[in-house]
Amino acid sequence: MTSALHLVAAAAAAGEVTTGEKAVFFILAPIALIGAIGMVAARNAVHSALWLVLTMLSLGVFYIVQAGPFIGMVQIIVYTGAIMMLFLFVLMLVGRDASDAVIETLRGQQAWAIVLGVGFAGLLGTGLARVVGSLKVVGLEQANADGNVQGIAALLFTKYVWVFEISSALLITAAVGAMILAHVDRSLRDGTAVMSQPERMRARFEPGSYPGPKPGPGVFATSTSIATPAKLPDGTPAQRSISPILPTRELTAAEVANKQTEGR
Amino acid sequence: MKDISLPHLNYAALAPMLILFGVACVGVLVDAFAPRKARYPIQLVVALVGLIAAFVAVVLRAGKVTAENAITAAGAVSVDKPALFLQGTLIVLGAVALLLIGERALERGGPFVAQAAITVGSDADQRQAARESGATEVFPLTIFSLSGMLLFVAANDLLTMFVALEVFSLPLYLLCALARRRRLISQEAALKYFLLGAYASAFFLFGLALLYGFAGGITFAKINESAQNGTGNITLLYAGLALVSIGLLFKAAAVPFHVWTPDVYQGAPTPVTSLMAACTKVAAFGGLLRVLYAGFDRVHWDYSPIIAAIAVLTMLVGSILAVTQTDIKRLLAYSSIANAGYLLVGVLGNSALGLSSVMFYLVAYGFTVIAAFAVITLVRDADGEATHLSRWAGLGRRSPFYATVFTVILLSFAGIPLTSGFTSKFAVFSAAGGGDQSWLVIVGVVSSMILAFPYLRVVVMMWLSEPGEQTPSVSLPGMLTSAALVIGVVITIFVGVAPQPLLHLTSEAANFIR
Amino acid sequence: MKPLAQDPTLNDFGHDPWWIVLIKVVVVFAFLVVMTLFAIWYERRVVARMQVRPGPNRNGPFGLLQSLADGLKLAFKEDIMPKLADKAVFFIAPVISTVCAFTAFSIMPFGPVVSLFGHKTPLQLTDIPVAVLLVLACSGLGIYGVVLGGWASGSTYPLLGGLRSSAQMISYEVAMGLSIVAVFMTSGTMSTSGIVAAQAGSDTHWGPITAPSWYAILLLPSFVIYFVSAIGETNRAPFDLPEAESELVGGFHTEYSSLKFALFFLAEYINMVTVSALCTTLFLGGWRAPWPISLWAGANSGWWPMLWFTIKILLLLFVFVWLRGTLPRLRYDQFMRFGWKVLIPANLIWIVALSGIKTLQKSDWDGTKRTMVVVGVVILLLIVALVWPSKKEPEKLTVADQIAARPDGSFPLPPLDLVVPVNPRAKRITASREEPVTVGAPDDSTGPKEA
Repeated sequence: MTSALHLVAAAAAAGEVTTGEKAVFFILAPIALIGAIGMVAARNAVHSALWLVLTMLSLGVFYIVQAGPFIGMVQIIVYTGAIMMLFLFVLMLVGRDASDAVIETLRGQQAWAIVLGVGFAGLLGTGLARVVGSLKVVGLEQANADGNVQGIAALLFTKYVWVFEISSALLITAAVGAMILAHVDRSLRDGTAVMSQPERMRARFEPGSYPGPKPGPGVFATSTSIATPAKLPDGTPAQRSISPILPTRELTAAEVANKQTEGR
Repeated sequence: MKDISLPHLNYAALAPMLILFGVACVGVLVDAFAPRKARYPIQLVVALVGLIAAFVAVVLRAGKVTAENAITAAGAVSVDKPALFLQGTLIVLGAVALLLIGERALERGGPFVAQAAITVGSDADQRQAARESGATEVFPLTIFSLSGMLLFVAANDLLTMFVALEVFSLPLYLLCALARRRRLISQEAALKYFLLGAYASAFFLFGLALLYGFAGGITFAKINESAQNGTGNITLLYAGLALVSIGLLFKAAAVPFHVWTPDVYQGAPTPVTSLMAACTKVAAFGGLLRVLYAGFDRVHWDYSPIIAAIAVLTMLVGSILAVTQTDIKRLLAYSSIANAGYLLVGVLGNSALGLSSVMFYLVAYGFTVIAAFAVITLVRDADGEATHLSRWAGLGRRSPFYATVFTVILLSFAGIPLTSGFTSKFAVFSAAGGGDQSWLVIVGVVSSMILAFPYLRVVVMMWLSEPGEQTPSVSLPGMLTSAALVIGVVITIFVGVAPQPLLHLTSEAANFIR
Repeated sequence: MKPLAQDPTLNDFGHDPWWIVLIKVVVVFAFLVVMTLFAIWYERRVVARMQVRPGPNRNGPFGLLQSLADGLKLAFKEDIMPKLADKAVFFIAPVISTVCAFTAFSIMPFGPVVSLFGHKTPLQLTDIPVAVLLVLACSGLGIYGVVLGGWASGSTYPLLGGLRSSAQMISYEVAMGLSIVAVFMTSGTMSTSGIVAAQAGSDTHWGPITAPSWYAILLLPSFVIYFVSAIGETNRAPFDLPEAESELVGGFHTEYSSLKFALFFLAEYINMVTVSALCTTLFLGGWRAPWPISLWAGANSGWWPMLWFTIKILLLLFVFVWLRGTLPRLRYDQFMRFGWKVLIPANLIWIVALSGIKTLQKSDWDGTKRTMVVVGVVILLLIVALVWPSKKEPEKLTVADQIAARPDGSFPLPPLDLVVPVNPRAKRITASREEPVTVGAPDDSTGPKEA
């Protein structure tokens, strides 16, 4: 597949539409459309996301075929590989049975949306279809003269350097925004939320809680009765080892004493 | 591989933006490393000092700018006179709005929520609403937004403009979601604003692509040249211009792209609403003016009927719906929509006069609207701000001073002479009249008369009703709010009484360089 | 060493007749399948050696056919479709995994240009200007197989495994992508054949020794980060959290059986081979022979390079197995913290430092100025290190002090001078022992003797 793509991309760089490019287009264009329609029509949110992935993959291949291998790969890595994956992540957390409500809050809204959407698409589509026939493709060879990646790098660091730098502000804002909207500061949490793993681990060993399983009754004990408490390492009886429904029984001194059954 | 070298960057021209970006980054670092208690004072001081420094940079630059040295950064930015004027306006308005954002005397912890991630209504939420001081991230976010606006009004190509649009919008979406009280409608507002804003950005981007197809470039100079020479396909030009305009008119809150405005203005924390009402409007119209005047000057006759239709719709829908409102913030939202209509009328003046009148209007309206929202933050009861109109009945008896201030502001909105509202409306209408758009002026005057009704109704309610059980008290403003209020009202009256200096300034600045 | 004449460049690709492409495709496919069968056996044998046991040794010589037998058995097992499964996605998930795993290998350079039935052709299926990105794209898509498999099973443990793996693989893909940036910066190309050629050898010689040209040495931090994140990316121990048996039964493939499970298994091992091959290509000189062998003139021509390439892959696979045999699994939060707070920042600092070095190299400054810059940076770092506030070490307490410091209500400890009576049964075996055994006594000489 990649070999074919390579051939096609090389031909596209020369500015002509080859049979290979046409073939790729006419195979993938319907798939991309089906993906888009499926994304809107699918009832299950995860299926919707998957249809969208299909569309984005097709778009990525289109870019590659149109002599933009870098942007094509970035489309696949970033959009399908990262963004849609995060989308799926959230959808899975929401749960597989959560399908969107089909009740219209505005009556007739869906019908209107379809009519207007198709109308708008038709308007733009026919307009563009009439226009692009007369357009001539220019400048592709010059743009890719030093290689596609190098061409993009040169543009980013000369003509668009200011925009490139400014977009970092966008990223910082996004990061700060994610922190504000999603992060709960631990000091303000007051133990109402879930403990983190290290906290939970520390709490297990704090006074009053016992890290191990409860000792069974009769462990290190003077009798095999289940009413006899187990002994803790320092010799004190462990009340937790006896079931609370058992009646308590007074033990005589002889019963409590070590019987020296073993050793010298 | 051929060698590439960095294009010449005129740092003096870019200084205001660079200062604000730097200050915002410092603010983020302060939030990351400073102890919690120290954050608020540090952030406030850093932000205000940064804005002052940026303003100084703008003023220093204003004396030296010429047609030759305005364009820099490989043609991406054009720091010409209108850009500098709008940048200065944005910085001052932003600083005044920042005073409201930084106010903490009215409510314990300020108007922002401490931890937006805590579920609304939970125990932890009630605890933090009562105790915790608000998130200090709002300061860097505000500065980021302002720096994006500075770039937006100075962008010399559509791509820079698009990135600037995103840079100033994204922090605003976030800020909308951070109200301390009534957090659910605040979050709802943020979500609506975000979704519709993203939709509008997509339109802008689509239009950008089509315009690239038309001109083979995205700078305004290139587009203008193509339009002038008649090269390129005219359908692409129209489709592209239409789509780009949708993106800009959305930000400007023009009908039919206005539906987000009332919900967002109502839901957002009031200081943020003031920031949006004043600064976003300046940025949106600054961008719109540059696109239409610098990029599409040649097709003026083709687009003006459509813009005129939008202006009429905006004025009428804004003013008529304002009559029906029962919430003071929603009322101001619809009034802001109607004002967008008046501004569009000025835009259609399509001359240096049109440009200067719109800039004049933006300054006058910005200060008045910030003062209006400053008063709204003061009128409060135990549950926070009392924004329902019925609650304002009898306020004049209870606190005559603030009722007077608000009356002056409302009269200015209504366009009564001797206030900035009158002079600014006069400016845009006369510019439109000069541009052969007299019928627009008539519609504008009619809609101002309609719009005067809800304003006067509020005035009547405040002064002529008896204060009832429900009439809230007016809190004593802190130093920051007082400062914002004084600045807003003084400028409102000053521009109304003596508009000459500002008119002079705007007509001096009215020349785009592409 | 100068780049050799038979070094393929991007222009050498895309001219093969269809039957050579077909042969190459089949060979790559066969190579991967055989490598998988071999790697399973190899892993089991190596781990067995480490644990002092023989490992599989019944089927074929040295048990080599064991994995083939296992694979055949797996294919004939019953294919279970869980009732709650999302049928289509459940079916398609292993297919996605496998297809992506195979596709990624299409740009691996096995060797130089050779003559195949009279045609001059590079020993590589294809190459594109963004070849390395293709591998990243394939590994990014391969995650879908894991995540969807976990989700479609309609069961809790697979879902948790799927969620974990999506978070884990995305995080480690970032680190992996960043570590490759340094390679791109140094070689100036993203095509795999170009990167191999760039590591062919440097012109600097110190006496008989040539300056190192492998990026594993020149870009050591990138190499280390790449390898660590590659382990995270392939879900291998100690980062095998998506399929942690003790917590998640089997993770994302708990509900899978028969051929579908086999496909997942295949994909996992192919991914291992792929990241090893990519590591070889990017950092270990690709198919070129290492130093002592490279003294032989014919080492880097003809079909020999395929051998060097395979040997390098096998050595890297050995490291994978070695780590699995040695390290315990990380806790999830430690694992994510390591990825985001250690690997990525270290990587970014390294890239900035590297670009500083490159800028310095390209500048027209003379030697003294360069030295001054380098010395200045070093001094700056030292000052920062000096001024950096050091973490206060908590005072080390003796055992007795620690016990005294325990608050009331702590779990009781046995008395330190507890005398444990000797077990009478032990006595029967070692009648000679006389003195009592003490526990926790300060003096070791009185400790228990060998029974």
